[in-house]
Amino acid sequence: MDFDDSPDEAEYRARVRDLLERHAADLLHLEAGQEGVDARTHEAEMRRTQRVLAEVGLVGVTWPREYGGQGGTLVQQAIVSQELARARVPALINHIGIGMCGPTVIAHGSQDQRDRYLARLLRADDVWCQLFSEPASGSDLAALRTTAVRDGDDWVVNGQKVWTTLAHVADHGILLTRTDPERPKHAGLTMFVVDLHAPGVTVRPLRQMGGQSDFNEVFFDDVRIPDSERLGEPGEGWRVALTTLMNERVAIGGAGGTIGLPVEAFVQHARERLPALDPERQVLARQAVGRAVVAALGARYTGYRRLTVLSQGGIPGPEASAGKLAGTEAARLVADAGVRLLGDDAVYAATGDGDDRWQRTQSWIPGIAIAGGTDQVLRNIIGERVLGLPPEPRSDKTAPFSGGRR
Amino acid sequence: MNFDLDDDQRDIAAGARDFYRGSASPAAARAGLEGGRLEPGRKALADIGFLGITVPDESGGAGRSVLDLAVVAEQGGAVLAAPSLVTAARAAVLLSGEPELAAQLADGSTAFAVLDGDPDESAPSVDAADATAFLALDGGDLVLGEGEVVPGRPLDATRGLASVRLSSRRVLAADAGELWARARRVAAVVMAAEDLGGADRCVQLGVAYAQEREAFGRKIGSYQAVKHMLVDAWVGVEQLRSLVWWAAWAADANPAELPLAAAAAKACAASVFEQAAGTLIQVHGGIGFTWEHDAHLFWRRAKVDRLLLGDEAEHLDAVARIAVAGALGG
Repeated sequence: MDFDDSPDEAEYRARVRDLLERHAADLLHLEAGQEGVDARTHEAEMRRTQRVLAEVGLVGVTWPREYGGQGGTLVQQAIVSQELARARVPALINHIGIGMCGPTVIAHGSQDQRDRYLARLLRADDVWCQLFSEPASGSDLAALRTTAVRDGDDWVVNGQKVWTTLAHVADHGILLTRTDPERPKHAGLTMFVVDLHAPGVTVRPLRQMGGQSDFNEVFFDDVRIPDSERLGEPGEGWRVALTTLMNERVAIGGAGGTIGLPVEAFVQHARERLPALDPERQVLARQAVGRAVVAALGARYTGYRRLTVLSQGGIPGPEASAGKLAGTEAARLVADAGVRLLGDDAVYAATGDGDDRWQRTQSWIPGIAIAGGTDQVLRNIIGERVLGLPPEPRSDKTAPFSGGRR
Repeated sequence: MNFDLDDDQRDIAAGARDFYRGSASPAAARAGLEGGRLEPGRKALADIGFLGITVPDESGGAGRSVLDLAVVAEQGGAVLAAPSLVTAARAAVLLSGEPELAAQLADGSTAFAVLDGDPDESAPSVDAADATAFLALDGGDLVLGEGEVVPGRPLDATRGLASVRLSSRRVLAADAGELWARARRVAAVVMAAEDLGGADRCVQLGVAYAQEREAFGRKIGSYQAVKHMLVDAWVGVEQLRSLVWWAAWAADANPAELPLAAAAAKACAASVFEQAAGTLIQVHGGIGFTWEHDAHLFWRRAKVDRLLLGDEAEHLDAVARIAVAGALGG
């Protein structure tokens, strides 16, 4: 057991740090407290930043070299992420494309699709999104109703997706559709790459409780997709989607820690705010700070354990769902304690000087507990696939999807 | 970075598991509540070398790491073994300058206990009930003495809790505050490791029952209310395992991180073990509340351990203070 970088890792870290310093002028940097700024504000700069990082080999670290990646390890990816955070460079605009869509194209796409898409994706020439959830099928993803009907060399798509992160800036998406409603719900699905600029595609941003818009509704009205944009075989869409979901688990909970909230920033906030509270409140506030830090460290080191297993050739399994559960809980404790440390100002949407960082942070948490699998669905996955508990009763698993559904 | 046990440690864990399963059990913990002997006892632990895991080779110990000891302690915790390796770990730190006494600790020829609080009337201290030699902090000095033992009626018999009034004392080291603090932190880590074993066992027992028991025509484990309770306990155990390993590693390899890591592990252990033991009872329903079922034995230890070596509030406060003082950077 050793938490320090191995000599190879230390050398890699030094190289990454050096690259970030040398190209600092070409990269977008965040101000302190700006972690939550949404990508759209800086879309052009975010794309430019990713292109610069891609050119120096810091994007697609774990992707195979033949597809423009670096053929690196998950630990190297974690080092790059840590060093980007340290340099206050925001998360890549195309994080969904790199973490989920690209690997799905690599696994199930044709050579032609790989050639056309992957290099541009890495450079953020194209931003990608993942068109899975629908109004009537969030957690129950395989109940989706968006249809694709074959018409000559094309497929014609109708339906609606929702909660689609980045669709408002995306150029392409991977789209899960129903192509055979007479088969059971997991069997009649087919996956496509869709051009978000195609006629018939309408993107409408949703406004979240915190006021910002990170995700969207996407409507498909007779959108034509050439058959050459199919990912995998017709009817095999669920298998293709599982590749995406497996990568999503690693992307969301894989590295561990509080989701989207560096514990160091929270501790800095506590350092500044604790002395301003009256002594009795300080006692209670330290309990809350301590609890949040313990949760964050537990999630971080559990992430390190998973990373160790993966870096030794392990396969991301259902255990990764525990990382998201623990990370969400830690993020909730950190955000709540962060707000409470504001004292009386905790009841306002921003403090007197206009700083709304902790209030904004707090307003993400209910969404984190839903996105990428609700806490409850993740508990089912862990309970059934890790602990071996009996499955939830399901009445619709083998019946034709169309039976009484629509 | 490599955050996993090595093959050697996995072998140590497997060996400890076999030993503890063969020599201790929750049934013995129940018998202990009615005056029965605690298992496996000091002699068996000395004979297999567990009391001397962190005692140097030249004093007859194994000269191994706190992490190795924690891996063993987890297995003892799973069967509620007594005495606690907390005592051995803590005494080994305190006796690091006393090779002869350390040898007596390792071979079991002297029954040591470490006293918390005032040596003239100590707080309830682990394994003090059957000890003959007591280590205590007297003023700033580390002292060794004999004492008058006042056992209470134990909530958890396996902890050997008693208050002690020292009747003699010999100074082993003056100005020993830092040594004492390190020993207490290592003790907190080892207790968290025992709690990890106990909590993990609670989840295993609860899962096994939920897979078998039926109600309303279904296995109860298929109900989300039951399933989610067990999953939450399991997720807690995984977080605790990470913090215990980190803290034990820090005790060996990065002493500067030990104060934060030990406090985090102990605070986490307090709530995770309590949650797991409570879940075990709830999943069993009425039977889990009976004297005959093992569930209350784990529950008892969880309720006691959360208060020993500093309660959850003390350790959460320590985590906050140490983190804010700069241990995490930021």
